[in-house]
Amino acid sequence: MTISPDVATTPQSFGVRLRAMASGPNSFAYLIILPAIVLRLTYSIVPLVQTVWMSFTNRSITNPGQFIGLANYEFLIRDERLIGSLAFTLIYTFVSVALEVVLGLMLALLLMQNLRGRWLSNFIMLLPWVMAPLLAATVWKIMFYEDGGILNAILRDLGMIESPIRWLSDANTARVSVIVVTVWKNVSWCALIFMAGLAALPRELIEAAEVDGANILQRFWFVTLPMLMPTVYLIVMLRGMAEVQTFEQINGLTRGGPGTATETLAVYAYARFFQELRYGYGSAINLLLLLCSVTIGGFFAWRLYRANRSGL
Amino acid sequence: MHPILQQRLGRSAQYGMLLIVLVMLAFPIYYMVITSLKPPGEAYRLPPTLWPLNPTVDGYPFVMRAWNYLRTLLNTVLVAGGAAAGATLLGGLAAYGFSRMTFVGKSALYSALVATVAIPGMVTLGPVFIAYNELGLLDTHIGLILIFMSDGIPFAFLTLFAYFRSIPRELDEAAWIDGAGLFSTLFRIIFPIAMPAFAVTFLLLFIAGWNEFLYAFTLTVTPETRLLTVRLFEIPVRADANTTPYDLIAAGGVLILLPLIPLLVRVQKQLVQGILAGAVKG
Repeated sequence: MTISPDVATTPQSFGVRLRAMASGPNSFAYLIILPAIVLRLTYSIVPLVQTVWMSFTNRSITNPGQFIGLANYEFLIRDERLIGSLAFTLIYTFVSVALEVVLGLMLALLLMQNLRGRWLSNFIMLLPWVMAPLLAATVWKIMFYEDGGILNAILRDLGMIESPIRWLSDANTARVSVIVVTVWKNVSWCALIFMAGLAALPRELIEAAEVDGANILQRFWFVTLPMLMPTVYLIVMLRGMAEVQTFEQINGLTRGGPGTATETLAVYAYARFFQELRYGYGSAINLLLLLCSVTIGGFFAWRLYRANRSGL
Repeated sequence: MHPILQQRLGRSAQYGMLLIVLVMLAFPIYYMVITSLKPPGEAYRLPPTLWPLNPTVDGYPFVMRAWNYLRTLLNTVLVAGGAAAGATLLGGLAAYGFSRMTFVGKSALYSALVATVAIPGMVTLGPVFIAYNELGLLDTHIGLILIFMSDGIPFAFLTLFAYFRSIPRELDEAAWIDGAGLFSTLFRIIFPIAMPAFAVTFLLLFIAGWNEFLYAFTLTVTPETRLLTVRLFEIPVRADANTTPYDLIAAGGVLILLPLIPLLVRVQKQLVQGILAGAVKG
């Protein structure tokens, strides 16, 4: 290692140099933090501002765009297809995240039991997680095939159904099917984070409750779960923001169909913006999507912050 | 009931549940693999078979030709790898700065960086598409690398920020006292120590880039620039067939998933630890 001469000839203690850095704007600090920040803001805040601006215009592929005030938003609240996709997005997000949290926690508790074959069970568990969302959707679509697909064949052989289930062509069944695929793909990730949360809990408290005569359900409900709440908030925050913008699974499975039964906000925004090339109206839908994401993220970040501060 | 017997029963029940869960998680992937090994006729056979009666790999060369697989694979490695390396480096530099230094506007910049996570990709994609069209970045790999990189920065930053906070400051101080400059402290002392954390961050971002669809689909036009996941939307069709070629779609799926398997096996342990460290502490 070479020692740069200016440093070698002017020996200063670390404390002095640190204080010198703290005293004013520090060029080295900015030099190393700014590339990341500039790139990130260029691709997030700048397009966001443009989206806000475009949502007040009638810009499209053929029209450079005039300012039209709130006209897009007035259209938004009367657009039945939008109301439908908003409702489905919220239900889809709520049900998917709830199932991911409950099943993920159960899976984590099961995997924490020191069972054998850990490597293999971890590997199998990680497989759905490592797949592209679109690939997961494609694989399930083969299984969902209605006239003689494997799922209907298995259910029929088990005597559970008489006639084939219309997995993707019946509106309500299709809504359930897309949620099934999402939960299948993401439950492992939730289980991993829960395992970390569980591993970090102080064992003494749970053991103390055991000594006090609490049974296993009481120990879980009154001791483990309250201490695990920060992890729950973290998972709900991250999965909630991810599910609310779901696009790929829907495209791979149903393309929003049948009709518009499984159309999410992101799928609808894509249709307006990139297929009809109505930039103004597409931007207004996107801002509604942003509002949903920020509400979920903000609310659970706040709960997480509060839970961490109260020492849990 | 005797306690030991009760315990045994409890264990058996746990293994039974684990087995059911693992079968449910693995079955779709198993079914994809065996479907890809079925000859065309058997892929539509009623009822469907759970094991290929006449296994064949004929579907694979067909899909590889239709997708121009090697070229597409190379594109994907280039874009996902370049973006993951860039995001890890920039995120790591920023994380080091935030973990060790004080400067004006620190908490505001931190908040700005972290809060951008709440902006859905769909919201930024529109203006990026329009800008790329005007700047000539549409349908280029550098355009994809830049947006993938930006997408990965918050994750890289938070993971490595948590990691740097766990490295004692005495290490930096020792290097300082020995007279090392800022850059040599960073690149010769800190980064080598942080290598395992960097590797996990890189691999997770590489997988994310490999699997990305929305940007890759919207910002590419010609087959020459397309990435693997996007190819799933281009179902290869046999000339004489008018049914959906499930065997070919499944083979395509295997061709997309398979290259990730050695990666997953190799880093599984660190991957688990990496997710845990980054997500929970950050």
